[in-house]
Amino acid sequence: MSTALPVADLAQVRAYARQMLRRHPRTIGTALGLYVAAAVAGLVAPRLLGQLVDDVHRGTTNATVNRITLLLAFFVLLQTGLTRWSRWKSLVLAEQVFAELREDFLARVVDLPLSVVESAGSGDLLTRMTSDVDSLARTVRYAVPEVAVALLTTTLTVIAAFVAGPQVAVAAVIVVPPLWLSTRWYLKRAPAGYLSERATFSRMTGGLTETAVGARTTEALGRQKQRIARGDHDIRIAYEAELYTLSLRTRWFPSVDASFVLPIVAVLGAGGWLAAHGHASLGQVTAVTLYVQQLLDPLDRLLGWLDELQVGASSMARLVGVTAVPADRLPSDREPVDQSLRAHDVRFAYVPGRDVLHGLDLEVRPGERLAVVGPSGAGKSTISRLLAGIHGPRTGRVELGGVPMVELPLERLRSEVALVTQEHHIFVGTLADNLQLASPKATVADLVAALDAVDALDWAQALPEGLDTRVGSGGHPLTPAQAQQVALARLVLADPHTLILDEATALLDPRAARHLERSLAAVVNDRTVVAVAHRLHTAYDADRVAVVEGGRVTELGSHDELLAAGGSYAALWASWRTDVSTSP
Amino acid sequence: MRILPLVDPGTPDLRSPWRFLRRVLWLQRGSVAGGAVFGILWMGSQAVFPYVVGHAIDAGVARHDLTALWRWCALLLAIGLLQAGSGVLRHRFAVTNYLVAAFRTQQWLVRHTVHLGASLSSQLSTGDVVSIGTTDTIAIASGIDITARLSGAVVTFVLVAVLLLHASVPLGLVILIGVPAFSLLLGPLLKPLHARQHKQRAEVGQLTALGADTVAGLRVLRGIGGEEAFVARYRLQSQRVRASGVEVARSQSLLDATQVLVPGTFVVLVTWLGARFAVQGRITPGELVSFYGYSAFLLTPLRTLTEAADKVTRAVVGSRRLMTLLQTTRVLAEPAQRAAEPPVGAPLADPLSGFVAEPGLLTAVVCGDPEEATALADRLARFVDSDALLGDVRLRDLPVAVVRRRILLADKSPILFSGQLGDELGSNRERVFAAITTASAEDIVDALPDGLDTDVDEGARAFSGGERQRLLLARAVAADPEVLVLDEPTSAVDAHTEARIAGRLKAGRRGRTTVLLTTSPLLLAVADRVALLEEGLVVASGTHRELLRSTPSYAALVLRGETASRSA
Repeated sequence: MSTALPVADLAQVRAYARQMLRRHPRTIGTALGLYVAAAVAGLVAPRLLGQLVDDVHRGTTNATVNRITLLLAFFVLLQTGLTRWSRWKSLVLAEQVFAELREDFLARVVDLPLSVVESAGSGDLLTRMTSDVDSLARTVRYAVPEVAVALLTTTLTVIAAFVAGPQVAVAAVIVVPPLWLSTRWYLKRAPAGYLSERATFSRMTGGLTETAVGARTTEALGRQKQRIARGDHDIRIAYEAELYTLSLRTRWFPSVDASFVLPIVAVLGAGGWLAAHGHASLGQVTAVTLYVQQLLDPLDRLLGWLDELQVGASSMARLVGVTAVPADRLPSDREPVDQSLRAHDVRFAYVPGRDVLHGLDLEVRPGERLAVVGPSGAGKSTISRLLAGIHGPRTGRVELGGVPMVELPLERLRSEVALVTQEHHIFVGTLADNLQLASPKATVADLVAALDAVDALDWAQALPEGLDTRVGSGGHPLTPAQAQQVALARLVLADPHTLILDEATALLDPRAARHLERSLAAVVNDRTVVAVAHRLHTAYDADRVAVVEGGRVTELGSHDELLAAGGSYAALWASWRTDVSTSP
Repeated sequence: MRILPLVDPGTPDLRSPWRFLRRVLWLQRGSVAGGAVFGILWMGSQAVFPYVVGHAIDAGVARHDLTALWRWCALLLAIGLLQAGSGVLRHRFAVTNYLVAAFRTQQWLVRHTVHLGASLSSQLSTGDVVSIGTTDTIAIASGIDITARLSGAVVTFVLVAVLLLHASVPLGLVILIGVPAFSLLLGPLLKPLHARQHKQRAEVGQLTALGADTVAGLRVLRGIGGEEAFVARYRLQSQRVRASGVEVARSQSLLDATQVLVPGTFVVLVTWLGARFAVQGRITPGELVSFYGYSAFLLTPLRTLTEAADKVTRAVVGSRRLMTLLQTTRVLAEPAQRAAEPPVGAPLADPLSGFVAEPGLLTAVVCGDPEEATALADRLARFVDSDALLGDVRLRDLPVAVVRRRILLADKSPILFSGQLGDELGSNRERVFAAITTASAEDIVDALPDGLDTDVDEGARAFSGGERQRLLLARAVAADPEVLVLDEPTSAVDAHTEARIAGRLKAGRRGRTTVLLTTSPLLLAVADRVALLEEGLVVASGTHRELLRSTPSYAALVLRGETASRSA
């Protein structure tokens, strides 16, 4: 039932990147200017050495040598200073851009449409939030600046070589065809290779996590051999992925290395021939040879970072994709006339063409307790999500006081109807933080009152630092029952008039569940309640019971009415009660 | 190339981190030697490049001897090709070194984790195991990987020194003394960089945790609000990461500048000395170009030496952490003297509570305190040591493997492993099908695209809580143990389905011993015998109906107070 989140295309990624960069035109300009200056300072040395070689060849004095060497030293110091400054500027800029990027992304994530969050499953989003953001770090911090600088340095070095000795430098062009061809071949295959390599490593980490988490299960079931086999299998897959990228590099690396030696040989050979015929000086050949050698470093870096840049672009596409999710609510300014909740002829499908609800009708009367029972897969949870306004119906209407649920602004919806599921989550932060989410303006007294209402005040105050105790992952551990009580206390603070309870206590120990039901009783007091339940006593306590089978309401009425009707509810009740009724 | 995974990963040497690393190196000595040989050839051919260029300039350009020029150019091309060839071979060996080391240590880790089994959680956290498996094995592998380039760096350094000393003793000495001196200078720069990177990683770790926490709780968050608070707290930590990144940038840019300054200084020194020699006619212009080339090249081995020092240090730290895990032992002791196995069909008894599970029967235990019930289950299946008896033999006197084979405990938090569902449920397909029926899980399997051949993802996220519970029950039943202990197997299952499971479980386990910890009347009704556990002791036993009649506390526990009073 999970729908994949969209992935942006190349044009969207480029547009986003451009927009990010446009926020810092001046810093980017400064950084680039400094890099140009540093590169130019680095290009002086070969020229000076060429001059020195010429002078020495023709015969010169120590004074000239000293003068040229001093000049050389000056430019080394200049290049050092400029390098430090330019690197500093660009690294700080990268930190800034990356921070903006991840903050942007998180803001989009917490604003995702309710229906998307409910149906996409957390796995995909979690990967995007963690590994994709991490993998972008390398791209933004290193790959983009390195590639920019390498391009710049390469261009400037080529220009310098042509200035020093154009007739000699022409020979270096021989590097272009082999390098171009082999690199194009490599870049077509490499990103997919590295992505699948990364996937095999996640798989290996996943397998190891399972082995560690399930160590007890493994021992209980005697599955030691299977776990070891799984570990070995993951290694085999990871190894195969590694072998593939290694085979790509095995072909690419030598062709690059060979490409690098070609222009040096060509420049030396051609330069020597030109010098022999009086068309070039010794100094020119020396300078161009050194430039060509000096070219290898930026070219090597450029090539080395290109695949990283591609991998980064694919992570970026997945992040930008999240921003492309369309909104699922169209808030109107219509006001609900009352608190009645009504579903009429509702059909709904998670996957097009496969309806889960087939013309469901249900009216919730204000103030009543309505229990929804039925076998697994009958559509009970879907009903609760539609009644809570998370999904809109495919056809038909779900309305609160005459207004379609999806037309209510989110803030308004939350103060009207709340959905409580068996899923609870304690966020990293203090206990007070966790409660205040539901009502940012709540005072400490409000928080204490809410905890008290759900019977949780005793343990909350017994925590090491009371309400200021840090809870959630890495903090003070709470039991599942306590976590559920926190969820209920949030409801007290949010104070909606209608509650949809979707098996809210199902995963808990029966004894804990019983304790919680007392907490729940405090919350449901004076509210309209729709309870999806699998424990029959919940149905027994309700004002009315709706039996849902095959995406429709098949029986509806009070407990006694349904018993009298003798339908499937009556049958189930009978099996549950057999022993009690036969006892005297 | 060696084929991974290794059929036999060998045994680690756990006496010290250095011995540990030495054993890892020794176990893959072939590829380590190959990497070293090609590392030397590769970096060596780079080192002689300036030598050949210098001669080419002297011969061809300065003396206009074109024949000699062609010869030197041909030699240059040959050396270039040798460098390309040895470079890729070195890379292949280094990758092999890396992978074999990473995967061998990973294999040790997995095997030992599996060996620890139920003893793991009381001694190490899951997070520790995963971080050792991802970070520390990589650190060890990187330490092994660097050996190929390290060999090249050391040999090349000596080679260049000899070439320089041969040309001029003072020049050679400048290089030989200067390079190590400058690499010592890099040390103090690297330390703050590493410290800052370490701090940055910690901040990034917290940021990632915050992001993951937000996503994990997103459904809850979207249901109750508080989005702005989340954006704010993420932004706060994100800015902390940025600030620590700026600190790293400070060190990083200083280091980058130093890496311009150090070779630059050598270039200036060597050029100055060389030019003066050239003026005196002691060296040729070509040799001057060579000297310039050597001094620029020497940065490569220099960087490699610093990198190697860093990686080896990390490898030692990684080894120490991995060794801590590999030295952890199981908590449950094997008996010094193993008792004779009791015959099949022996009763299982827990003297501490007075509970007895008669062979071949479905015995239910009702207990108001779930922790007490779980403690009983742990004793009955020997996950803790007690005086529990199978027949007349104490479980602690039997090898653990024998107990596990005969008694299976399906506890409250087992995990469904990822992979093909059918394989996960059991190896015998016929029994798996029967067990799926018993657990009333046919609808789950039918709804899957490939039935039992469907791949289940990690954490079985595609299934609801109730579905997961039924699949876990099917797995336990399919294992078909002599004694099956089930702890609340249907707490998340709806009443319709639970009623079906109750009937089928009894039939499915006919003739085998089953212990069922539950308070569900639907299950209790089908049990052959029910025991009520209070304050750790069996206070009443009989059938469900008998207990309902005879023991008010039982009825209250099983049928909720209000319901019971209404029916009276």
